[in-house]
Amino acid sequence: MLACVLLAAGAWGRLKPLSEPSLNTAESLYRQGVLPDGKSLRGERQGGEPIEGQAAACANCHRRSGFGVEEGRIVIPPITGKYLFRGSSTDARQMAHPGSEALSPQRSRYSSETLARAIREGIDPDGRKLDYLMPRFALDDATMALLIGYLKQLSTHPAPGALTDILQFATIVTPDVDPVKRDAMLDVLNHFFGNKNAFYRGDDPPLQRERRIHFRVLRRWQLHVWELSGPPETWEAQLHKRFKLEPVFAVISGIGAKTWEPVHRFCESESLPCLLPNVDLPVVAEKDFYSVYFSRGVLLEADVIAHRLRNDAGHASPRRVVQVFRPGDLGAAAAQALAAALAGQGATVTMHELKSRQPARELSAAAREASGADALVLWLRPEDLKVLPAGVALPKSVFVSGLMGGLEKAPLPPSWRDAARMTYPFDLPAQRVIRMNYPLGWFRIQHIAVVDERIQTDTYLACSILAEAAGTMLDNFVPDYLIERVEVELSHRIINGYYPRLGLAPGQRFASKGAYVVRFPDPTGTRVVTDGDWIVP
Amino acid sequence: MSGCINIAATMRAILLSVLAASLALRAASAEGVDAHAHQQLLASEEAAHPQDALPTVTRSLVNYPVPAIRLVRDDGEDVTLIDELNDGRPVVLNFIYTTCTGICPLSSHIFSQLQHKLGAERDRVHLVSISVDPEEDTPLRLREYAQQYAAGPSWQHYTGTVAASTAAQRAFDVYKGDKMGHTPVTLVRTALGDPWVRFDGFATADMLLKELHGKGQVTAAVSSTRQ
Repeated sequence: MLACVLLAAGAWGRLKPLSEPSLNTAESLYRQGVLPDGKSLRGERQGGEPIEGQAAACANCHRRSGFGVEEGRIVIPPITGKYLFRGSSTDARQMAHPGSEALSPQRSRYSSETLARAIREGIDPDGRKLDYLMPRFALDDATMALLIGYLKQLSTHPAPGALTDILQFATIVTPDVDPVKRDAMLDVLNHFFGNKNAFYRGDDPPLQRERRIHFRVLRRWQLHVWELSGPPETWEAQLHKRFKLEPVFAVISGIGAKTWEPVHRFCESESLPCLLPNVDLPVVAEKDFYSVYFSRGVLLEADVIAHRLRNDAGHASPRRVVQVFRPGDLGAAAAQALAAALAGQGATVTMHELKSRQPARELSAAAREASGADALVLWLRPEDLKVLPAGVALPKSVFVSGLMGGLEKAPLPPSWRDAARMTYPFDLPAQRVIRMNYPLGWFRIQHIAVVDERIQTDTYLACSILAEAAGTMLDNFVPDYLIERVEVELSHRIINGYYPRLGLAPGQRFASKGAYVVRFPDPTGTRVVTDGDWIVP
Repeated sequence: MSGCINIAATMRAILLSVLAASLALRAASAEGVDAHAHQQLLASEEAAHPQDALPTVTRSLVNYPVPAIRLVRDDGEDVTLIDELNDGRPVVLNFIYTTCTGICPLSSHIFSQLQHKLGAERDRVHLVSISVDPEEDTPLRLREYAQQYAAGPSWQHYTGTVAASTAAQRAFDVYKGDKMGHTPVTLVRTALGDPWVRFDGFATADMLLKELHGKGQVTAAVSSTRQ
């Protein structure tokens, strides 16, 4: 044993920064629990309980940033080199990890040797046993050196856009967005940033010298507006170029229309947090880390309709469903999602593409086609809903996308209002009125004209969520940590605008998970009532 | 073999006096034992010494009236919590969520071990895991999660509305306001009408087995692990 330790000490004394391939190998070990030889990492808790693979990976508990997390009363401490290789101190100048630091027991600084002992035997540098939750890992010397090398560099790189006195953010606008909506969003962002910076007193001494004071309040926020142009295939390259010119710490809000996929891919490839954009067709990619959305948008609506159709059919599948959408609009993807959800259950799904700018005749044909079906699903914008034909025999169920159709303001003709059921992935207007007092009050104070209430409220929410998460990071400006803070804190919020509640957890990327189906009880007007409970498909 | 050692260790721990246990509890308070949560504590029999780096567990007996709560089982069936708990079998109950990375994987691993240790008696005990993140944990996600832990037919996971999950958590005094705040709690009831045995902390599979065994419900299974 002694020989082993000495040998190891010799090896680690010469630890050099990891090369690129070694860093990738170490990252797989740290994040996925994959050993350099491709086998699964195995560990044991005291008492011999085994733990293996992803469940045993360091990042599983200590998170990708290595800054740890608090769960209930369990404190998973930070394990970045910065934290491990210095003693836990009461010196305020050393305070970098709020919460975790304060609750960790006092201990001496680790050396590479004592850290290896901690990982192998669960003993800290002062000879105390580590918490029961921390497994022991019998790593060989080479793997141990790789892991320790990884921890030493973890979360030490300066984050783009996080400067000593300024935090840079970007918001992204795709060229297919209605300029009125774009301006509505930008109005909120500019006021929020202006408000934030109103507390900045540029003449104050540089308070980061005294770290007892949260010097985050002294960082000014700067917003870059990245307006894209041209076809979607060119957006990613445009974004990489902008990011190089204007490095930012995160993308906040933003607005898209028909596709957001290039933006999502850009954020993922640059490891850039992309928080809560105004998009109704987000990218659902379970393994991706950096993009967080309010909800799955029209894809959620598709699943809600599938759920509802199955329930209405007594848990059987509907026999025939007709869907109407415009090619190139969000409805195409939503209709595909619904068809996929109903596939394999014997349902015949007919897709009806609207092509004409004067679609009255096409809509009549679609309605006639649907008259004998179980359901007609309309993935249409207000201008198409407005010209739905009167006097046609409607099928048993008519579903309308609330996100596309304009929610309670959807201009459904009187003869359709009785049959129509609208997906409504928000609290109803009457239920959200108190929560909405906050953003609406803020808009009034800021003299912001409310031209698109949902977009402006979601933008305000996105900014508030960013401010809260950034506020608990202190000076740990690491992109992964921003996402981790949002994961932890989001469900604590009470003022959530249109949403009954928002919540994430490690790996969750869609904050609101369900929807109502509503109906229109009156021949005119915007009153909607629920037609059943909140559905989480 | 390890089963024998754990049972012996558990038996030793039972011999700790209530005083010693409460002292150990105080010493371990930083590890997550909330004194206020134990005002109902009728008997504290067990507390591992922190120096052993074993989980600190407190055991208490509590009567929990179960209110009428509708849940959705992982097979998609609408059920009531009362019916699920009162099907005549001993019940072991915990609260989890599928995207949890700290507490739940260990809690579910313990259930998985318990199943294994119950051996042939596995299906005579009902293991119940209720999601504290019901909107994310759809029946499908719960089934996938159950599969990760090789859940047998007598271990079911439950979801439902946020209100139903919250009501279930409140009924067993485990509600912490947010899923991220939850603490490891396992509840055992060996027979209908008995009080619940509440373990705060990571009760090991052997502790749970002993609890089930203590009432003579699964004697065959326990004796088999002793050999």
